[in-house]
Amino acid sequence: MTGLRSTLGKLFGGSKIEIDGAPPAELVVAPDSADQIARLLDFASEHRLTVLPWGAGVHQGFGGRIEPDVIVSSSNLAGAVEWDPDDLTVVVGSGITLGGLDEVIGARRQSAVLPEVDLSATVGGVIASGVSGWRRLRYGPTRDRLLQVQFVTGDGRMVTGGARVVKNVTGYDIPRLLTGSLGSLGIITSVCLKLWPEPEAAATVTADDPERAAAVTYRPQAVLETRDGVSVFLAGTTAEVEAQATALGGEVAAGFVWPEPPIGTCAVRMRVLPVDVSPLVAQIGTGPFVAAHGVGEILAGVESDEIEPLREWAEVRGGALVVERAPDDVYEAIDPWGASPSTLDLQRKVKAAFDPLGVLVPGRLPGGI
Amino acid sequence: MVGSLDALVAEMTSIVGVDAVRAGELDRHLFSKDAGVTRGEVSVVVLPKTARQVAAVVRAAVSHDVAVVPRGAGTGLSGGAVPESPAVLIVTTRMNQIDLDAGNHQAWVGPGVINLDLSDHTDQFGLYFAPDPSSQAACTIGGNVANNSGGPHCLAEGSTVNHILAVEFVTADGDIVVAGSGAPDPIGLDLRGVMVGSEGTLGIVTRVLVKLLPRPPAIRTLLLAFPEVAGAAATVSGVIAAGVVPAALEMMDRPLIRAVENFVHADLPVDAAAVLLAEVAGHEAGVDAEAELIAQIATDNGAFQVRRAADAEERELLWKARKSAFGAIAQVAPDYYLHDTVIPRTKLVEVLNQIYEIAARRNLLVLNTIHAGDGNLHPLFAFDGSDPGVVAQVKAAADEIVDISIAAGGTLSGEHGIGLEKRDLMHLVFSPVDLDAQARLREAFDPAGVMNPEKVLPAGSRCFDFGRPVPEGTWV
Repeated sequence: MTGLRSTLGKLFGGSKIEIDGAPPAELVVAPDSADQIARLLDFASEHRLTVLPWGAGVHQGFGGRIEPDVIVSSSNLAGAVEWDPDDLTVVVGSGITLGGLDEVIGARRQSAVLPEVDLSATVGGVIASGVSGWRRLRYGPTRDRLLQVQFVTGDGRMVTGGARVVKNVTGYDIPRLLTGSLGSLGIITSVCLKLWPEPEAAATVTADDPERAAAVTYRPQAVLETRDGVSVFLAGTTAEVEAQATALGGEVAAGFVWPEPPIGTCAVRMRVLPVDVSPLVAQIGTGPFVAAHGVGEILAGVESDEIEPLREWAEVRGGALVVERAPDDVYEAIDPWGASPSTLDLQRKVKAAFDPLGVLVPGRLPGGI
Repeated sequence: MVGSLDALVAEMTSIVGVDAVRAGELDRHLFSKDAGVTRGEVSVVVLPKTARQVAAVVRAAVSHDVAVVPRGAGTGLSGGAVPESPAVLIVTTRMNQIDLDAGNHQAWVGPGVINLDLSDHTDQFGLYFAPDPSSQAACTIGGNVANNSGGPHCLAEGSTVNHILAVEFVTADGDIVVAGSGAPDPIGLDLRGVMVGSEGTLGIVTRVLVKLLPRPPAIRTLLLAFPEVAGAAATVSGVIAAGVVPAALEMMDRPLIRAVENFVHADLPVDAAAVLLAEVAGHEAGVDAEAELIAQIATDNGAFQVRRAADAEERELLWKARKSAFGAIAQVAPDYYLHDTVIPRTKLVEVLNQIYEIAARRNLLVLNTIHAGDGNLHPLFAFDGSDPGVVAQVKAAADEIVDISIAAGGTLSGEHGIGLEKRDLMHLVFSPVDLDAQARLREAFDPAGVMNPEKVLPAGSRCFDFGRPVPEGTWV
């Protein structure tokens, strides 16, 4: 490794950097072009070096732990922004943060409807992890935002999928495949996102019963339950927000008041059928949670001994529990994903189609893929 | 083919039963074409009822060294269900079960269910399936999934892929697997998302879990008439730029307005150069303000008539006019050919003017029906194929339209699919490396090329072999 390290240093050393919170690696680099990433991954494939793509580190908790030889940071891929406000699309480098994107497109009150909290996350990291914002109840998940993706495969091929138009069936849906792929198929360098206009008015209204809240509103942005109760997130014209707030009858706060992410010994993400949200909430001990009614996603801070019973409850009902963060001893003893899907064999083959030597985040996906 | 056609037919009959096999010359001819222009060759038609039958059909076809091609109602326009080489045609129309889960706003649906029948079935619960292709009274959900079909209302709600939660399919090995679930976000890679729009090339879809939406409590529908096409196009850009995403925003130009009016009698403004059919849907307290904003933008851009649908009946009449466009063409000329390109919405005026110029130069009649809000063009040439030379002119004009769409930053197809028709144009929008990546993806699902071969990707796509060779015995 010493010899390789020196070669790597010579080839890519100019951009060597340190990253807080990242696992130890032989080399940490921040390339400033897709071309440079392609050369690096070609080299990594030749020498079987394990590579971990890194954005802001916000969503690195997913899946099997990686012991990388090389960490590739997207911090130097944040510069390019091509915004077409009249077409409601934007092309950005994968290293731009959510906050940085909002600063640009907020000028015309547009939004990519990505996660609302922790705006230090990068767009590339959000796409790669596949996490969605709370407004997915109204706008659909993050994967519905991605129109085009440019990425470098594990063996150094620069590939573009999709197109810079809002409706497209030309070829396979590569953008969707990359969404949630957790860096396993390629390193995302640039994406084109579909934007939405920010509605004229917004309000957060407390409610007693999520079912009644759904009945007296029309497609709210989110219906979230925490230990403090249920809140309904409304948006639209001023008149329709006021009318629905009145129908709900709760306490009204102007704008969106998003809940804090739940923090506990372990952080888990539970995914169930929408009707199972309330019964699952009742299964959670005393820790904090945020439950998305109508969607079926619950984030919770739980004790380590709660993981298995909650997972079993979710899985027998067709759901899942994903462990995002846990103390090392706990994490080592469990499978972060739980039961494997019936497509595992196909997933393994798809991974190999994009990363034939298996250098990108090996073991991170379900089934150790 | 290994063995004779008779042996293949006999084996298929043993799987699905004699009433579900069509092997006569007439049937094989009838099923060898979709609603487009290409005719193919069918070895035998099977009409299975269950996923297990489909799996057995796939395994049997593979053992006879014959490919399988899925087909729904055959309303596709791109030849996606047309076998280029003789194949087993799996017609899914008998797989038409609907299992509604109203509480979760979901339903498991057989691929043979007709699009409109699904929404009719769920209507009693105030739910509907959003994708609404113009052919929705005939096309199947399986076909919608294969082509990632759109429709006028996908402007606000997205195409079919945004409404598919899970896909059950038969793999090239004859296994039945499920990608996705009713719970959000599949574990691992999103193979569900890749299956949608894959045109039957990655597996045969046997069931899908669809997301249903609540019917909007209030709808406002406007017909806006313009003296110039540019005013209509500017209104589309103006509405999007003003921060309104209507439920639908459709454009028809004068030749089409006149053809449709003759056909449907909806009192359309036949003097207009173009009309926009705009619809907003949502809460009762919000729709009027949005409708008025659209009307104002239209008036500012020179609209000489703003017609507000007074009731559901008038609304349905206006939509019938829009969705009858292709039927109305038959009164104009015996043949038509259309493309399905998409462009950035800001380029509408520019590209439309180029389309008119192309038609004028080639002495062709072009009628435009446009999903304007999405930038999805359907320039339609109406012609009589028996006129000498006209087919070549139409073909050349269509090629030019593809070129100008791509030059404007657009792509080949917004909702009709690639199939056979646009397969050999793929290199215009993808590099050899991009096509190779798609070919490798396909190979991961179907290494032997038995699932709807010869569709979507041009021959030779999987030939780009730079990158590192994988040593034998490598575990990856």
